Amino acid sequence: MAEPVKERKLEKIRILGDLERGLDDVDKKLARGNTDIEFDFSGCPFISVDGLEWLEEFLLRADSLKSTVTFINVQNPVYKVFKVAHIDSLMRACGAPNQESQGLSC
Amino acid sequence: MTVSSDQELMLTERANHLVRQARLAAAVFTQYSQEKVDKIVRAMTAAAIENAGKMALMAHQETRMGVTEDKILKNLVASEFLYHQIKDKRTVGITREFPDLNMVEVAEPMGVIFALAPVTNPTSTVIFKSICCAKTRNTVIFSAHLMAAESSNFAAKIMYEAALEAGAPKGFITWVDKSSRLRRTSELLMHHPEVDLIFATGGQAMVKAAYSSGKPALGVGPGNTPVYVHKSANVASAAMDIIISKTFDNGTECPSEQTLVIDREISDEIIAEFKRLGCHVCSQEEVLKISALIVDPRNGGINYKLVGQPANLIADQAGLNITTPIKMLLCPLLGELRHHPLAIEKLMPVLGYVIVDSVNEGINKALDINYAGGTGHTAGIFCEDDNVIERYSEAINAGRIIVNSPASIGGLGGVYNHLNTTLSFGCGTGGGNITTDNVGIKNLINFKRVPRRRNYVISFQTTKNIYINPGSIDHLRNLKCQSAFIITSRSASRRGHLAMVTERLPQDCHVDVFADMGPEPDFATLQRVVESMRRTKPDTVIALGGGSVLDAAKIIRLFYDYPDLKISEVAVNFLDFHHRMIEFPTDMKTQLVAIPTTSGTGSEVTPFAVLKDGHRKISLIDECMLPDIAIIDANLTRSLPADITGDTAFDALTHALEALVSTFSSDYTDGLALEALRLIFESLPETLKNPNSIVHRHKLHNAATLAGMAIANASVGVNHALAHALGARFDIPHGRANAAFLLSTIEYNAQIPSKFVSVPCYPLWIADRKYARAAQFIGLKDDLQPGESEEIGRRRLVQKLRQAIFDLAKLANQALSVAELGIPLEAYMAAIPELTEIAFGDMSIRTNPRYALAPEVAQLFATAYPPRERPSI
Repeated sequence: MAEPVKERKLEKIRILGDLERGLDDVDKKLARGNTDIEFDFSGCPFISVDGLEWLEEFLLRADSLKSTVTFINVQNPVYKVFKVAHIDSLMRACGAPNQESQGLSC
Repeated sequence: MTVSSDQELMLTERANHLVRQARLAAAVFTQYSQEKVDKIVRAMTAAAIENAGKMALMAHQETRMGVTEDKILKNLVASEFLYHQIKDKRTVGITREFPDLNMVEVAEPMGVIFALAPVTNPTSTVIFKSICCAKTRNTVIFSAHLMAAESSNFAAKIMYEAALEAGAPKGFITWVDKSSRLRRTSELLMHHPEVDLIFATGGQAMVKAAYSSGKPALGVGPGNTPVYVHKSANVASAAMDIIISKTFDNGTECPSEQTLVIDREISDEIIAEFKRLGCHVCSQEEVLKISALIVDPRNGGINYKLVGQPANLIADQAGLNITTPIKMLLCPLLGELRHHPLAIEKLMPVLGYVIVDSVNEGINKALDINYAGGTGHTAGIFCEDDNVIERYSEAINAGRIIVNSPASIGGLGGVYNHLNTTLSFGCGTGGGNITTDNVGIKNLINFKRVPRRRNYVISFQTTKNIYINPGSIDHLRNLKCQSAFIITSRSASRRGHLAMVTERLPQDCHVDVFADMGPEPDFATLQRVVESMRRTKPDTVIALGGGSVLDAAKIIRLFYDYPDLKISEVAVNFLDFHHRMIEFPTDMKTQLVAIPTTSGTGSEVTPFAVLKDGHRKISLIDECMLPDIAIIDANLTRSLPADITGDTAFDALTHALEALVSTFSSDYTDGLALEALRLIFESLPETLKNPNSIVHRHKLHNAATLAGMAIANASVGVNHALAHALGARFDIPHGRANAAFLLSTIEYNAQIPSKFVSVPCYPLWIADRKYARAAQFIGLKDDLQPGESEEIGRRRLVQKLRQAIFDLAKLANQALSVAELGIPLEAYMAAIPELTEIAFGDMSIRTNPRYALAPEVAQLFATAYPPRERPSI
């Protein structure tokens, strides 16, 4: 008999303050499986290298668990960090991967 | 030695790891405020000062080069002196403001920097580059010279730990560990796609590799510093400074002196002073021995084993019998300097010298050294004569020319002078670099320029004294004038106007008359008038007539007052009045009184003068062309025939309409243009009905002057460009030529342009609204139907305006098409390409509200030919 399909759950996480390290409770939510995560960055003005590394690793884990992670309301300074970091998974979570310009040099 | 694929993979992984750390740190660094950055820089500087001795000792022990005490000084210059220079500099956010230019500069970090550190300055370079990178929010990966990697990496670690403690991003400084694979790892990093900039200080091979990487690179060039000791120099002080400099860290500083060029008058004195202070002056035999030791005979380059070694060691190894401690070895370079083996960079306390007999010879000898491997780097001069210093600076190609100071420590900047402190000396293109700067923080920032839209200054000028009522010609009775020159036409003379003027001039005023000014004269005619004026030397020019006479008088006065002017130099076309290349005189010597006898041109209040030049018209435009006095007396127009009344009124009508929609229009010119329009529509029909009505003649006369004031400040448009070309080609009076295109150009300008005009003072295309307003101002009405947009209403008003112009033209017997002017179709169509070219180059077109493309101009010519129907709504 086929196992009943679990309903997927969307967890909305609002990051309040600087993201300077990983968030254990969010890691746990992801680990429970069948969960998609939406990070709301509207309250996050700063991200550190540790925070950035945690996000990248979190996205990798989510990918292996077939969970979808999305970032919303990313503030300009943090969005610029994502841009300069050149990490595609971060940009995908923001909606679209980075694109290289092939334009003319002038 | 070959590198196995496993090793290569490992090195690549190592490089990737270093770059990834630096990349993440660079990203995070973008968020830092100036305050946070300055806190980090301060902590790093303090750490460098605290550890200056330890790092210097380690560097000396590892490299066996230089002098520990001097390396301490270099570490302090790279930290304390650098900090002093940069601590208050803004490197985050807005770095500079240019209020006059309405522009600011905003800093953007460069990102991940791969930095090389040389064996000669292994710790000071790391200190310097680390602090510069922190100040500019860049991250840095160091690759040291293999012979100095432990001390360089130790310095990097001290800097990093201090920075981290103060809040710098993790991974902000990283370094390649010392290993036999260091060079290969460095190559991988140079070519790594995530490295943004290579900051190369070191041997030429590494600098070349950096430039070959295809990345932006801040490189440096080799030095070979000539120092000219002029006879005016303070000899004792110069000798001491040179010793300080050349012995500093045993000569490892690349800006340090390599060859002295000494004036003969002081040569004995300075050589004696060198000897007295502990230097050894070599004989020719000793020079040969030293050359054999320190120059590699295979390539003429330096023996690197002797870089930074003390003078006695070099003397010993060269086989010189010197038993006392010496500071440096001075080598006379006899014979052809350009071929002398010691005329190269010698990074050790060995200094060449030549003796010269003149400044000319001295500078040439210095150039011989300057262009022998050290172009663009450093030069020095000891001299008290500013003229000689200037000549030397002009001749020598060096990024820094150090005056009356030690070249090495002087080159570092901040100690003996106000140069930027650096350990990286840009050599410009002479040394294969992009900059001659003492490379520093300003070279590590991407400066973003943020120019605000220009605040375009629009002014309003007109003739100072305007007498505006019928009978105002009586003002001539009070004219301050001893000798007047009247320029007029035969018709004005015939109509009695000339007599009206001469009768009213003061009795004691000498009067000369040129009464033969035809329509649209050429420049040769005007020059003849100027010549005749030179004989009578008038202080006043009185222009009496229509537009051609008034324009001619403006040009005649200009060339009478300024005989050296050239017409070709003042009739240059321009795009923008504020940027034009030509300059007119600022004040006129001769008074100009303009008395119009037609009601159209407005020339009495404009700074323009149009001149016929073959098949085209050229314009002279400047405030100095404005008449001093205008007399707007309608009595002078009383006898104007109906056809000329109509022609000139349509000229004024065109002026008002074009000024109204001009890109340079303003509230001031709009008011004048609208009132001129209203007066023309009101008074032209009445004047035509009753030519002797002075009341209506007066209104028409004023309308022309008001429209003239409007175009004087807002200029005209495409209609005038077309009319100028047509008039010049087919001899059509200006007003008639204008009327022929008027309905076409209103329709054209009222459509959304195929190309907008790029003029800062015209932020919004509003020509259709302006025409609609003009229609309303002359009393035309339009009621919007329910559901209709305002745009539809505007379109209707524009059409009603065109209808009103059509009706007025019919009343005034004005031709509204080219065919009606009597020009044969075939000749006209054949001329269109030439007309288009001329019209497109006409300055009038520059202020048109729609960018008139050449095919559109051609189309305007073509569609203006057939006789017109009354425009339909």
